[in-house]
Amino acid sequence: MSRKIEKAVNEFNQQMKPVSLWADAWKRLRRNKMALISLWVVGFYALVAVTAPLFSFLDYRTQVIEHANLPPSLRPAGELVIEKLEARHALIKERVDEGMDSLKPEMERIEADIQKAKDELDTNPVNKKVYIFGTDSLGRDMLSKTIYGARISMMVGLVGTLTAVFVGILIGAISGYIGGWLDNLLMRFVDIMYGLPYMLIVIILMAMFRKEGQSSIVILFVGIALVSWLTIARVVRGQIISLKNSEFVEAARSMGASTGRIIFRHLLPNTIGVIIVFTSLSLPSFIMNESFLSFLGIGVSAPLSSWGSLVSEGANTMELYPWQLLAPAIEMTVFLFFMNFLGDGLRDALDPQSKNRT
Amino acid sequence: MSDEVILQVKDLKTYFTVDEGVVKAVDGVSFDLHRGETLGIVGESGSGKSVTNLSVINLIPMPPGKIAGGQVLFHGKNVLAMSSNEIREIRGNKISMIFQDPMTSLNPFLRISTQMVETIQLHQKIDKKAAKAKAIEMLKLAGIPAPEKRIDQYPHQFSGGMRQRVMIAMGLSCNPEILIADEPTSALDVTIQAQILELMQELTRKLGTAVILITHSLGVVAGMCDTICVMYAGRIVERGRTEEIFESPRHPYTQGLIRSVPRLDQETKERLYSIPGQPPNVIDLPDCCPFYPRCEKVMDICRGKYPSVASFENNQSASCWLYAKEAQNV
Amino acid sequence: MSRYIIRRFLSLIPTIFIIITLSFFLIRFAPGGPFSSEKNVPEQVLQNLMRKYHMDEPMWRQYLRYMGDVLRGDLGPSFRYRDNTVNELIGQSLPNSMLLGTIALLLASLVGIGVGIISALKQNHWQDYTVMSIAVVGISVPLFVIGPVLQLVFAMKLHWLPLSGWINSRDGFKTLIMPALTLSFPYFAYIARLSRASLLEILRSDYVRTARAKGLAEPTVIWKHVLKGGLLPVVSYLGPAFSGIITGSIVIESVFAIPGVGRIFVQSALNRDYTLIMGEVIVYSMILVLMNFVVDIVYGFLDPRISYN
Repeated sequence: MSRKIEKAVNEFNQQMKPVSLWADAWKRLRRNKMALISLWVVGFYALVAVTAPLFSFLDYRTQVIEHANLPPSLRPAGELVIEKLEARHALIKERVDEGMDSLKPEMERIEADIQKAKDELDTNPVNKKVYIFGTDSLGRDMLSKTIYGARISMMVGLVGTLTAVFVGILIGAISGYIGGWLDNLLMRFVDIMYGLPYMLIVIILMAMFRKEGQSSIVILFVGIALVSWLTIARVVRGQIISLKNSEFVEAARSMGASTGRIIFRHLLPNTIGVIIVFTSLSLPSFIMNESFLSFLGIGVSAPLSSWGSLVSEGANTMELYPWQLLAPAIEMTVFLFFMNFLGDGLRDALDPQSKNRT
Repeated sequence: MSDEVILQVKDLKTYFTVDEGVVKAVDGVSFDLHRGETLGIVGESGSGKSVTNLSVINLIPMPPGKIAGGQVLFHGKNVLAMSSNEIREIRGNKISMIFQDPMTSLNPFLRISTQMVETIQLHQKIDKKAAKAKAIEMLKLAGIPAPEKRIDQYPHQFSGGMRQRVMIAMGLSCNPEILIADEPTSALDVTIQAQILELMQELTRKLGTAVILITHSLGVVAGMCDTICVMYAGRIVERGRTEEIFESPRHPYTQGLIRSVPRLDQETKERLYSIPGQPPNVIDLPDCCPFYPRCEKVMDICRGKYPSVASFENNQSASCWLYAKEAQNV
Repeated sequence: MSRYIIRRFLSLIPTIFIIITLSFFLIRFAPGGPFSSEKNVPEQVLQNLMRKYHMDEPMWRQYLRYMGDVLRGDLGPSFRYRDNTVNELIGQSLPNSMLLGTIALLLASLVGIGVGIISALKQNHWQDYTVMSIAVVGISVPLFVIGPVLQLVFAMKLHWLPLSGWINSRDGFKTLIMPALTLSFPYFAYIARLSRASLLEILRSDYVRTARAKGLAEPTVIWKHVLKGGLLPVVSYLGPAFSGIITGSIVIESVFAIPGVGRIFVQSALNRDYTLIMGEVIVYSMILVLMNFVVDIVYGFLDPRISYN
């Protein structure tokens, strides 16, 4: 359908503009290179996050104590372990040569370790492992850890956004369509909620209601979703009010359509562009808020981890093992960066007259 | 109106580069304006009327716009070749402009006094007090009641018609030689429109200002203008004295426009005429008469080549194959 | 005008009242209590403690008592830091947080606006592209990533700046640089994007075209006709920005070990230090609500279209 329209030409052999909103939006999005790249990157992240459990080599739980704190490398772990031991051996040998005999047993122990590692290099399959993002202090693969962290972060972002969108649409639509005292009451409530220091309340909520050692992800969802629907409710309400008085809704009403039908068949499809834009722009902010809480130690709790808690762990050891900070930090930043670009692109494509261009 | 030509536009071409291609918004427009003359430029939206006149004072946003060719001679000097300092001497001083939408053309954050005084002080070396007195005098001339009080108000405290009066007062405050009025009444109520046109006519006659009136309404030009240029798809298709154009329109487009004006002096049971179809967009337009798909008198040659200008008595001229010698030879 | 200001000011009272009430009950209904983490306390001692802090009274009496105290400006004794009152604890830490927050907000707005203006005037030039790419990075990188990464680079590897600490330490005002930059970066980025977008809109507006048609020189057009309208959205963003800076300071103060209100915020919630956390919520909300109030009033002064009738 849209293809046919796009190909239409007039008497002067000029291309005619696509008429449908979606065809037009898709055309604009396709022209925006940065948005297209972002679409691919975000899609790649989503694909990896969703399919991670299918790949057994992405194992974030197995601890290989001998492989603790290995730096990122493309070479097999066994070789890195030997290198690390040899470096330490050289250090101690220097001291021993200087006359510190008390270190001699230590030196001999390391020599034995090196020998053992060399023996096992080809026999033990664990030594064939490659850690491209390095390992943590318990010898777990950072790549797998950050991917599983991404799963949690993205899930929180998605669930938070969906909840916000669902509750926001419901309340915004009701408030805008019915109007009157109900509208006043709801919007007054939204105003007051806006005035509240939102993250502070979530922090208190998370700090006080989570139970130690228990997965607190549900409380996290509640905490984030509780206040997140405000913006979308306002936006939807505004859209509905401006559409409510338009002629096509008038026409539907004159033909006896019910309120519910008018809202869901006529008004919501007309606000869907704004909702998509909002969704794509708020997803990164949900992910950031969740990670913020996890960084403070009051977000998701062990054994689950998210980008935020990984960054928090990494910050503690960054002086010696900077990759434990940088791996989750860079992975997260790249995702948020492209997610923001995608959101911008979608906004330009779907809502070209948007007043909130920033 | 005297014989002295003060503004001469020669083969002006203004193009805009957009994603889809090059928009030839103005494609070879020429006209002369005499001292004290009122010239009407008529055309549908998108025909290039406004771009023509923004080009005259070199106010085309660049990029995406670009003046691709031609000259604008003001007293024989090419405006398009002037330095930005020289051209600013002309803008608002010798040639001033009034825009279509008075609601958005005044700065909502500044008082009327600020906006008027800055113009007057810019071009006339007088102090602030004298400038304000001059501004009040202009507002009074423009029919603003209690101008001493209203001058200190903000634009949003004025109605649309009143704001357009302010714009006219501001436009004429430096006693320009030319006033370009870009659809000055189309954003206003019908009752206000007549008042504003009358005011413009009265003031410009009094001050001897030449006027270029841009409009899509033939009714407006009929009452005000000495001469008319009809524009279509970036070109002038017909020009002549107002009486001649209304008496004997030559171009089919002009004829269509005149037929689509409702007339009170003729009783008729027919439906009011309207030109069928839409004006073309002017991106990559092939070499042809852009009006042919809508034209009742279309011929084969119209599809292949743009017609040259045919002249008639009394300086009337039209670009149409109906009157071209070559057409008969083909 | 002054009537509007007074009315608007009075409307702050119910907002603050609601915040206090909501947090009071939210905190009290949370599982656990301020003394539940203390092991092996004899029953008698616990009861004495409960009585001392009026925890044995019904909830509504506690609420009324607390509200009465708050109205007198007394935020009560801390449950955890038994030698200090909440007033003392907040009195010591608030100036530090305020200093950091104010510097961050000033930095974010001044640099953000400046960069936004340059970017709008040089639209689609390299200056614009560079600055706007930095700005997207700015809104994409979380504070708690920037902080540690800056520490890693400038303190641990290059040794240019102190790792953490506060201005009363040996390093003095050098300690301010990294926290202030980190805290301001996301808001700088947002303000730069915001002011660029709104200036571009104004630059395309009819009244700027009018100003140019009047013969005004470009600097005058920008200075007199573009900036005022173009920066209004930035003014209204300052409220939310300050709110974000307060939240952000919770992370920044713990990353950089700054003795501010934010640093003890999370811990006091985990400790169930009822009075301390309430005190912090009250102080934060008052600052926020006042900030929004000031922004509203300033906006009203700047935009003549807003009427107060």
